[in-house]
Amino acid sequence: MSTRDIVLVALFAAIIVVLGMLPPITFGFIPVPITAQSLGVMLAGCILGAKRGAAACLLVVLLVAIGLPVLSGGRGGLAVFAGPTAGYLVGWVAGAFVTGLIAERLVRDSQTEFMQFASFFLAAVVGGIGVVYLLGIAWLSFMSGKAFVETAIASLVFIPGDLIKAFVAMLAARAVQAGYPLLPVRT
Amino acid sequence: MLTGLDIEGTTLLHRASARLKLIALFAVAAGLFAVSNVWLLAAFAIIAAGLYASTGIGLREAFRRVRFVLFTVLLVALANYLFHSLSDALAVLFRLGTLVLLAAAVTATTTVSAFMDEIAVLLRPLERLGLLRAADVSLAVGLVLRFAPEILARYGDIREAHRARGLRVRPLSVLVPLVILTLKDADTIAMAIDARGFRRQ
Repeated sequence: MSTRDIVLVALFAAIIVVLGMLPPITFGFIPVPITAQSLGVMLAGCILGAKRGAAACLLVVLLVAIGLPVLSGGRGGLAVFAGPTAGYLVGWVAGAFVTGLIAERLVRDSQTEFMQFASFFLAAVVGGIGVVYLLGIAWLSFMSGKAFVETAIASLVFIPGDLIKAFVAMLAARAVQAGYPLLPVRT
Repeated sequence: MLTGLDIEGTTLLHRASARLKLIALFAVAAGLFAVSNVWLLAAFAIIAAGLYASTGIGLREAFRRVRFVLFTVLLVALANYLFHSLSDALAVLFRLGTLVLLAAAVTATTTVSAFMDEIAVLLRPLERLGLLRAADVSLAVGLVLRFAPEILARYGDIREAHRARGLRVRPLSVLVPLVILTLKDADTIAMAIDARGFRRQ
């Protein structure tokens, strides 16, 4: 990685940290407030690409592990990794990587606006939701003893909120791609 | 703004080396899953709570730090109670509770720099393979701590700019300028780092 790549990774990790400090966003049409931090994970892949996006998320996970309160609500420390939902946090790294991989392959400057939106949305949904939930639910099942099927199903209630985040990530990623493109092209 | 979660003190846990504490924590974590006796697990949970309290953290702060994780543990235990049995629920509750409290105790008694030293040791094999450099990782950690407050201040500025123009503060219209303005700084920061020869290249 070049110095510029390291700085981009660190700055994006800092953006994810700051997204955790903001008050939760509320949308008019759904009652549940949304924390913006996992939105940052989708954005990391869509804006920086697979490698740098995953590195930014890994850096945030590292900051949590070394005892800094960087997660939303000022959470942090090793206790987060001991809990049943640690898989969602570790899943950020793989999630951002897959998001970036899909975005790098699909998004082209020559595409129509609609195609770019569709590509970013697909990347955010598959990587930021699919992969993150896969790892999150696997860990949750392992930690939750006999009731692993029930807890796995219960965790799906967060999917609608995450779909909204994927939608916001799509709009934001396309706007950044137009204003300051950083996403590498992969063929 | 971003300060470590370690509490100053001179207890046994404070004086033990970070590596020893981490290895012990992993060993206990693996061992706990082999135990299924509820009474034994309950005893472990009480010992773990005692250890956590002995770090001198104070009850309110101690609870504030683990309440979210303990809440998720409680939900998982509740699911076990509803769909299986009370003993399954209690086993999960005490097993995961012990783990969370012990992990919180390690975090409360280990400084960020002690953790970073252990990370550098863990990265040594990767460094030998030429995949990454431990110095780059600590540089990145330092950059996050340096720039997170700046980005938060920039978020405040963008909100003010919205208000000044009578616009509603929407998530999207704040997020995009925040990301672009922040990432545009990367070139200048990278140049400053290289000019000072921090990476010896």
